[in-house]
Amino acid sequence: MPMAQLLEDVLQALNAGLLVGALYGLMCVGLGLIFGVMRVINFAQGDFMMCGMYAAFYLFTALGVQAAFGPYGGPYIAAILAGPPLFLFAWAVHRLLLSRVTGMRVTALEGEGHYAQLLLTLGIALILQNGGLFVLGSVPVSIRTPLSSSAFEIGPLLEDGYLTIFVNKARAIAALVSVAVAIGLLLFINRTRLGKTLRAAADNPQAAIYMGIDVERAHRVAFALGVGITAIAGGLLASSYPFTPYVGLEYVIVMYAGVVLGGMGSIGGAFWGGMVIGLIQQLSTLVLPTQLQNTAIFVVFLLIVLLRPQGFFGRSVERT
Amino acid sequence: MLEIEDLHAGYGGPTVLKGLSIRVEAGEFVSIVGPNGAGKTTLFKTISGILSPTAGRIRFDGRDLLAVRPSERPHLGIAHVPEGRQVFPSLSVMDNLEMGASTAAGRRDWVRNRRRILDLFPILGERSGQPAGTLSGGQQQMVAIARGLASSPRLLMLDEPSMGLAPAISEQIFERLAEIHRDGIAILLVEQRVAEALASADRGYVLEGGRIALEGDYEVLSGDDRVRQAYLGL
Repeated sequence: MPMAQLLEDVLQALNAGLLVGALYGLMCVGLGLIFGVMRVINFAQGDFMMCGMYAAFYLFTALGVQAAFGPYGGPYIAAILAGPPLFLFAWAVHRLLLSRVTGMRVTALEGEGHYAQLLLTLGIALILQNGGLFVLGSVPVSIRTPLSSSAFEIGPLLEDGYLTIFVNKARAIAALVSVAVAIGLLLFINRTRLGKTLRAAADNPQAAIYMGIDVERAHRVAFALGVGITAIAGGLLASSYPFTPYVGLEYVIVMYAGVVLGGMGSIGGAFWGGMVIGLIQQLSTLVLPTQLQNTAIFVVFLLIVLLRPQGFFGRSVERT
Repeated sequence: MLEIEDLHAGYGGPTVLKGLSIRVEAGEFVSIVGPNGAGKTTLFKTISGILSPTAGRIRFDGRDLLAVRPSERPHLGIAHVPEGRQVFPSLSVMDNLEMGASTAAGRRDWVRNRRRILDLFPILGERSGQPAGTLSGGQQQMVAIARGLASSPRLLMLDEPSMGLAPAISEQIFERLAEIHRDGIAILLVEQRVAEALASADRGYVLEGGRIALEGDYEVLSGDDRVRQAYLGL
């Protein structure tokens, strides 16, 4: 029954795409928040994520999360706990470095500060990568949980034992946690006063100052929060994929593709953008060799930039 | 309340403000009129701190305003309704007002201010959940003014509130400004519609080439031949 086999492959790829897409979505939300509020291209986002992965790894292994919460719940607790230290780290990076080339000060700089921002974030990326290599070594590690080698079995959906879908338990739970964190962030942005302040600073920084809003502080909160969110996504990824200090490079591309796809500056759009990238990546394995799955992302990315540069969920209301 | 002395400011090129001096007393309605490029918007940006002056003094309640960070100035009781409205387009009307109430006084008086705002601009109540960017120009202007009021200001500065609006709408805006003034809030208005601006004000200044060319109440200014010819078309 070759049709059933094909259908099973497609459903299996769809399932893998949705699960990894949820994690990509959360990464993109973090990056999208930073870009949306600060209008800064952050090349170091992937490397901040790498720091989040190692933070989750060491929280899990050395700092007792595994001992306290066990090998089942532990990886997810460790991923969430990776958020706060990266939030603080990013807060300091903004305070000491990034604030010098962003915000209301940039009007005095060449190219509105974009050159300085690109150089600075690229420099931070290189320092994190090579510093990571120096301190953490190049041997791939991952968070070990028995869940990553067991699956929920759906089916057989047809008689004669055909069409069974296997949903990896570790990835399924990671995807659910990811969606929950993304929803939490959306509620924060849309419902709380601080969240609205971030959106006001994004919409019109000058008018925000007229309202007595400290725009630099709003940028700092957005940057730290965006890094913290992406770090959590990295921590969730760490239980399914082995990683090294160079892992950021691979994912920063995924993140930018997702954020551009979602329409730069839209938080909800960034999540769906990341989800679509995950789906494209996994579905492409049906027709392309696995090594080419990131090529598929690039091709789609180029098509979007050519055909629909505002993204699929771009803002209906333009920034004034 | 607001005293500006010998203010010089510009954008790096030629100086726009060349020794400007004005004052606004508590509860007073003051209009500044003048041609395009006279420095009206530059003056407001300097008061709000978006632009730093090259020379001169700005005092608010006797305090040196130039020593106060721009984002702290609204907390002293100064609200700036900027040129071109500049509402937060993706935020709802009510969220725009809530952002206006970022000052301590604005938060304290939020319930009372909101009632007064919806009393002045009932349409904003009907549109409270709508993104401000989707409103008409006149409604956006109302949001911008209301957002300023939500901060519980003692001085409300308005930069060309009638710009781009139909005459009937701008007339309505001027009527609301008179009501706001009657609430005891001082108003500093910069306007191209000279007749309306001078008629509703206690005092007026004519700004030309970065300096005050003339000062006085409506009778004095409307009696001046140059003002009559150049601005009032009489």
